[in-house]
Parts: sequence; structure tokens; C-alpha cells
Amino acid sequence: MNPRLTGQARELAIQRLTQEFHLNQPVYIQYFYWLGQVLTGNFGYTNTPIFSGPVSTAVELFLPNTVILSLFAALLIWLIGIPLGVFSAVNRDSAADQGIRVFSFTLYSMPIYLIAIALILILGVYTGLLPFSGEVSAQLVSGLPWYVNGISYPTHILLIDAMIHGDFQVAWNAFLHLIMPALTLALAVMAGIIRILRASMLETLEQDYIKLARAKGVPEKVVNNLHARKSAMLPVVTSFGYTVAGLLGGVVVVETVFDFPGIGYWTTQALLNDDVGGVMASTLIFGIILVITTLVLDIIYAIIDPRIRY
Amino acid sequence: MEKQIFDEEEKRFYNLKLSMKVFLSNKTAVAGLIIFLGYVIDALLMQFYPEVIGVRNPNTLIYNFINPVPQPPSAQYPLGTTYPGVNLLQAIMEAIRVDLGFSLLIVVSGALIGAVIGVLAAYIGGYLDEVLMRVTDIFFSVPYLVLALAVGFVLGRSLNSMVIALIIVWWPIYARYSRSLTLSLRESMFIEAAKASGASNLRIMFRHILPNTLPPILVQISLDLGSVVGIFATLAFIGFIPNANIPELGYLTSLGLNYIQSAPWTVIFPGLAITLFALSVNLMGDGLRDVIDPRRRS
Repeated sequence: MNPRLTGQARELAIQRLTQEFHLNQPVYIQYFYWLGQVLTGNFGYTNTPIFSGPVSTAVELFLPNTVILSLFAALLIWLIGIPLGVFSAVNRDSAADQGIRVFSFTLYSMPIYLIAIALILILGVYTGLLPFSGEVSAQLVSGLPWYVNGISYPTHILLIDAMIHGDFQVAWNAFLHLIMPALTLALAVMAGIIRILRASMLETLEQDYIKLARAKGVPEKVVNNLHARKSAMLPVVTSFGYTVAGLLGGVVVVETVFDFPGIGYWTTQALLNDDVGGVMASTLIFGIILVITTLVLDIIYAIIDPRIRY
Repeated sequence: MEKQIFDEEEKRFYNLKLSMKVFLSNKTAVAGLIIFLGYVIDALLMQFYPEVIGVRNPNTLIYNFINPVPQPPSAQYPLGTTYPGVNLLQAIMEAIRVDLGFSLLIVVSGALIGAVIGVLAAYIGGYLDEVLMRVTDIFFSVPYLVLALAVGFVLGRSLNSMVIALIIVWWPIYARYSRSLTLSLRESMFIEAAKASGASNLRIMFRHILPNTLPPILVQISLDLGSVVGIFATLAFIGFIPNANIPELGYLTSLGLNYIQSAPWTVIFPGLAITLFALSVNLMGDGLRDVIDPRRRS
């Protein structure tokens, strides 16, 4: 509404807007209007310090960052967490096993923001190895034609955009900024996975078919990696649904602590700035992501275990 | 007949003794219990006799704007101070009471609501079961941290709405859990006996089934306490309670965040307090699980 309107014109404008946005209706009716709009692709508007405009644009800008962050975290879990869990079970009760167990138990007990702070202190403040704020060093990207107002083009993932434009210095810098948030997420999720994997691996190693393989003289390495590991992964995949929920919740905290412009950071900004559109839309989007990933995991589960057919 | 009752009691006593033995033989679980008791004593002290250590009001932080910059640990401030001039040791001791109290409130109310809903859904079954379980599915389809943010947004950002938001987030887990417990209990002999003796459905549900789901639910409560303290602090940390003057571990951590480079103790000590608590609860929970799970007994 035009703030300079006075008198009757002002009254009329208020009436018109009340009608147009159904503000005279009860909240649950308004909710159905909102749902109707969502079905046509209109998620409403958001107004936060980091972005103001249509929600769909905000999602388009922020979601790719969150996706790359989660994928990177998942990669780290795969590279670090799963080998650690298997190693821990194979070398049961050794010093290394005890160490891994204490490590994962401590991580499991820490709220995710404390893991972030611990990493900031160790890798950022004391050793100065890695940057810990934002998605790129500001002076590197000022004046770049494909990086305007903190948004990179065309994919909106700075790391990939920089490579598309051949600017590998920026790409490297963006990569460095990605490491600490991703590592935080990975460590938070890893703790649970190591525990479950170790337990299920120990159980699998007791099975008859493992003993048979050993008796036949199959090398220990092949027994562990080929025979045992695959079936030990089943409980891990089952619990991955909950893990993904944890990962998505973690994204909100991690992005906020590291000022990483993803969908989680936008969600907290929306909360702290009383932005209805942002909170409603991001809750819905998180729900959709969780449902889709759970579906994908169910399919993966069926591939890993051929006995399961839906 | 009398002999039999005596045997029953003896058996129960023996079971309890065995449980204690299993728990106490687990050294890490006992360590967890001792740390946990330390926290409880601190909380009780702050609740009933805060004057003993010179605290007048354990509900508010005491600011000192004359010297707001964080001071390193010293004889006067054993854990240093955090911005703005808050005595960190005293603040953490107060915060433990606040975090522990609210988390207990959240988990226990969540468990109560969830247990009743789960028992109702499983015992009555049919459409009610379908409806209740689909509602819990909806709650599971959004990450709990995001859901807590959304609920908190609707209720307004304050300490009370944060507690309510977390209760709303926390009951569905218990609903599922108590539903599965009830489903297996429903088929047991003593329920059939109760039915045969003409007990009403309500009586069966709340006098026979609900009390029998309690032991595993109590273990779950003790396990969840650690996570809820963490989530509670996380929400406070990302700014859920604006301009709060309350001692809360997450909020205390966020106060020191701007001084992380020059005064790391402002985030390390509150963080340590919360990690140690969650650690002790998890260690204790592991011991309790050994007690509950007969396979791990010998």
C-alpha cells in the first residue's frame, strides 16, 4: 500500500488489500488459500536481510548451496565414517577401536553448534588453516560480472560457476569455505553411523557364512570388505532415514553458524525477522526434501538387499 | 498360594538385584551416573539454596557494564567472564538448573502425551489408529529442528513458546514407541485375564497396559534427556530467545561468540558443560539398555 495515501483513498486501499489477501478470513481459511497458491507454484514473498523477493527465487538461489553442502558432507561420511566403523569392528577392543569409540561417543553427545565451534577454534582460530565465514572471500569476487549481490550465475553454486568461468582461484577459495561446514555436518552425522555400523559388523562377523569363507581360506581383507561389509551396511541404510532428518536439521544450524547462504541460513533469518512466507515455505521445502530422500533410500535399500521388494 | 506370592516377590527382588549388579558392573555407566548426579545436585542447590554460593536470583544473569569485556579465568572468576561482564562459573551453575529443568519438563510431558496417544491408537485400533499414526507421520516428515523453529514462529519467540514447541516436536517419537509396545502387550495372558474378569477397556488401557509400557519408556526418557538439552541449547544459540536475560547454556555460548578469537573460554566452558552432561546421560543410558535387554545379560 502506498504510505502517502490519506483519508478515504487510504480506507479504500485497506479494504481492497484485505479483500485481495483474504485478511478478514480466519487463519485456517487463509491457510487453504495459501495451499491453493502453492499448488500453482506461488509460495508467497519473503523479506529477510539476506534476501527479499518471491520465495521461489529465494529457493532457487539458496537450495543449490544447501545441496552441494549436504552432498559434500555425505561424501565425507562415506570416506571417513564408514571405513572407521568397519576398522573399529574388525580390530575389536584394540587401542584404535577404543579411540574410535570414545571419539564417536563424544561427537554423538555434542550439540552440532558445539562441533562447529570446536572446528572453528581448531582449524580456524588457532591454526588459521581454513576460513570459517561466508561462502567466499569478499575481495576475490567484488566486481566479477557473474557474481552480483552475493549470487553467482548461472548455476548459483559458486564452486561450479567459478569453474565454468575458468576462475580457479575463486573456485579454490569457495572450496576452502565449504570444507568446515561440510565437515561439521559430516562429524555430527558420522557419530551415529560409526556406532551402528560397528555393532552390525560385529554381528555379521559371527555369522556362519563368514566362518565358512574364512575356513575356505578367503583372505581376511576380502572377507571383511566383500562378504561382511555389504550385509553390515543394511542397518546403516535403515537408520539413514533418521540420519537424513538429522542432516537437514543440522543444515539449519551449520549454515547459521558459518553464515553460509543456504536454505537453512535463510530459514533462521526468516524466523528472526518474523517473516511468515519464509518460515512456511522453508518448512514445506524441508518436508518435501525429507520425503523424497526417504523414498530414494527405500529404493537403495531394495537394491542392497534383494530379498526386499515393494 | 502364599508360598507362590512370596516366590513372586523374591523373584522380583532378585531381578532388581541382578539389574543393579549389571548396571554397577559397567564402569562407564557408573561414571555417567556420578556426573549426572553432580548436575542434579547443582540444579537442586540452585533451586532451593542459591544463597549458599552467594546467588540471589538464579533466574537472571548479572551484567556488569563497567567491565563488559571478557576476563580470563582468575581467582575471582574461576572460569573467567563473558560479555557483558557475566561471571561464567556462576552463570553456568545457574544455567544447569534452567536447562535441566526445562528439558525434563519437555521430555516428561512429551512422553506422557505420546504414551497415552500410542496406547489409545494401538488398543482401540481401526480408524483411530490410522488417523493418529498418520498425524505422527506428518510430524516425522519435517526435521525436528525445522519443525521447532516453525512452531516457535507461530507461538512467538520466547522461552515458554520454545518449551511448548519442543514438547510438540517430542511426543510423536513416544507415540510410535508406546504403540509398538502396546501391540505386543495386548496379546499377553494377563490382559486376557483382565478382560475375562470384566474390566472395562479404559481400565485395561490405563491400569494394565500403560504401567507396563513405563519401564522401557523411562529408559527412553533418560536417553532423550541428553538430546533435548542439546536441542534446547541449539535453539537458544541461534537466537530463539531474543534479548534474554536468562542463564541458559546455548545462550551463554552465543554471548561469547564475538570474542571467540580473543577469549575462547567464553564458548569453551558453556560448551563443555553441555557436552559433559549429554555424555554422562548417554553413558548412563548405555548401562540402562544393558539392564533392559535380556540378551546382553548373563
